[in-house]
Amino acid sequence: MTEAVRAVALRKTYGTDGAAVKALDNVSLTLERGTVAALLGPSGSGKSTLVKALGFVSPADTGEVFFQGRRVVKDGVPLADLSRLRRQHLGFVFQKANLTSFLNARENVEIACEFGGKDQGRRRARELLSYLGVENREKSYPEMLSGGEQQRVAIARALANEPSLILADEPTAALDSVRSRSVMELFRKVAHERGAAVLVVTHDQRALDLFDVLYEMEDGRIRPSEHQGAATPGASPKHDGVPK
Amino acid sequence: MNLALRDIRRHLGRFVGTAIGLGLLLSVVIAMQGIYAGLVDDATILTRAMHADLWVVQRDTRGPFAEGSRLDPSVEARAAAVPGVRSARPYTYQLIQREHRGRVLRIALVGLGWPDDPGRSLPLVRGRRLQEPHGEMIVDASLGLGIGESLSLAGEAYRVVGLTKNALTSGGDSVAFMSVADAALVAFDQSPEATLLERVRVVDRLRRTDLGRGQPALEDLATDPRWRAPALASPPIAAVLIDADPHRNAEVRETLRSWGDVSVYTQDEEEALLLGGVVQRARMQIGLFTVILTLTAAVIVMMVIYNLTLEKTHDLAVLKLMGAPTPRLVGFVLQQAWLLGIMAYAVAALMGELAFPLFPRRVLITAAISLVAPLATLSIVSLASLLGLGHVMRIDPARALEG
Repeated sequence: MTEAVRAVALRKTYGTDGAAVKALDNVSLTLERGTVAALLGPSGSGKSTLVKALGFVSPADTGEVFFQGRRVVKDGVPLADLSRLRRQHLGFVFQKANLTSFLNARENVEIACEFGGKDQGRRRARELLSYLGVENREKSYPEMLSGGEQQRVAIARALANEPSLILADEPTAALDSVRSRSVMELFRKVAHERGAAVLVVTHDQRALDLFDVLYEMEDGRIRPSEHQGAATPGASPKHDGVPK
Repeated sequence: MNLALRDIRRHLGRFVGTAIGLGLLLSVVIAMQGIYAGLVDDATILTRAMHADLWVVQRDTRGPFAEGSRLDPSVEARAAAVPGVRSARPYTYQLIQREHRGRVLRIALVGLGWPDDPGRSLPLVRGRRLQEPHGEMIVDASLGLGIGESLSLAGEAYRVVGLTKNALTSGGDSVAFMSVADAALVAFDQSPEATLLERVRVVDRLRRTDLGRGQPALEDLATDPRWRAPALASPPIAAVLIDADPHRNAEVRETLRSWGDVSVYTQDEEEALLLGGVVQRARMQIGLFTVILTLTAAVIVMMVIYNLTLEKTHDLAVLKLMGAPTPRLVGFVLQQAWLLGIMAYAVAALMGELAFPLFPRRVLITAAISLVAPLATLSIVSLASLLGLGHVMRIDPARALEG
């Protein structure tokens, strides 16, 4: 499988001196395309900080991030146009769908196509909404959609630029168990059918069987999870952030 | 995809409401500026309408508008004889208030030197100039009188033969023009009772003098309503207007200034007397209020635009996280602000068209106001947008992840 993103020895500290908190403590991780990985862990363990670092939103203080084999961040310094990387190669799904409030479902996807430089954004947006089963709500504004529908549109938006990496930060936190599983199944489908690497931060342990790889974070460190996932052959976790 | 138009479409009611609110605020600012310009223009329009090179008034007075001026009518003939003077016209000015068809009319009555001056310099919008020495008048349209309508003054009917537009005094009163003789009749009009009492007083005074007791015929003359003492002067006039040969204007001015009974002002000096005296306080009052109102409106408009930008913080953070190019975000904010400014100005302009003519005082939208107001509006919304953009540029896309 092709490497989507690789983090090497990421460290990030919030606060200073006595009040300093290590959000990332020598975290290394590789996400392969075509796999869906879950990132588990209690609140404050550093999951969101890792997602921000992998998504080029808020870099770690030290360490390196490689994207498709190319080093793009070193010790917090961008070595590439991160905004461009985000709009062309990354997709984000949040705890709340965070759809743009003044755009309808189709336009939310279409604008992401535009940002990613994709042609025929409207047609592509319709296809993606159809792929995710919300094609009948394309003209609805976010406030008219249910939580599950909003997340489906958010996933469609994340897929708009055919990303090689999708980062989802607790995307099912606001959904009931049925809708939650449905969304997780979508991520699995996207990873396997479209060849994206998907990292899902979640507390929900009822759908862990849907993930190929499971990671667990605690006190800023990452290790393979003890939970049993539905690991795809050949998709074994690559990590060297096991607590020492 | 135009984000600004999409946002407006989604929040159309709020956008239109905001534009109307800002438009009304702008209309108040423009009205105040127009009232100020109108006040200044009204103060000088009457002097300008007379098209005189020089104003000859009573010595050491600042007449005829800033203070009263009483000039012997003989000054007209004397001035006309000065080398370089093309024409000299008598001019009277008085304020009267009369009731006409249940309405109170405040009129500034101006006497023109008919037949030399039948109102040739007046900007007529309807009707004609004075053709008769008596019984005709030209009035400003703001009085509400129509052509052919008659107004009763001093027991006589004066027919309206012409209408002017915006012939107003510095106090905003409408001006009526008639011959100097008619204006004098109105000025010295008194009731029959007052005339009788005056005759009784004259007779009483005569009887207490040797002259009266020695010449009983004088008493008969004093009580004869048809008789007027030939030694008495004609009624005084307020000013004499001089049209001088352009090449000899200074020479004429110096000659007239050498006379001991008159003061001479150029057109500019006469206007300065009005602006510096009669309307000075009102000008300053309205001027300062206009400045404060303009600043207040600018701050309000800026805060509204700035807050509109702040309200988009989360949406902008999400768009930024998605990798939206900065020019798209800048365009989003700026385009919306400009559209709001343009709509607000359109509302203000419409309000002006509909409401300003109903104001009791003239609201004069000068070319400067017409040019500056939209430019200032656009500048203010642009400035506010730039402040908002500063905020947008500082938005951390990570905020979108915070839910």
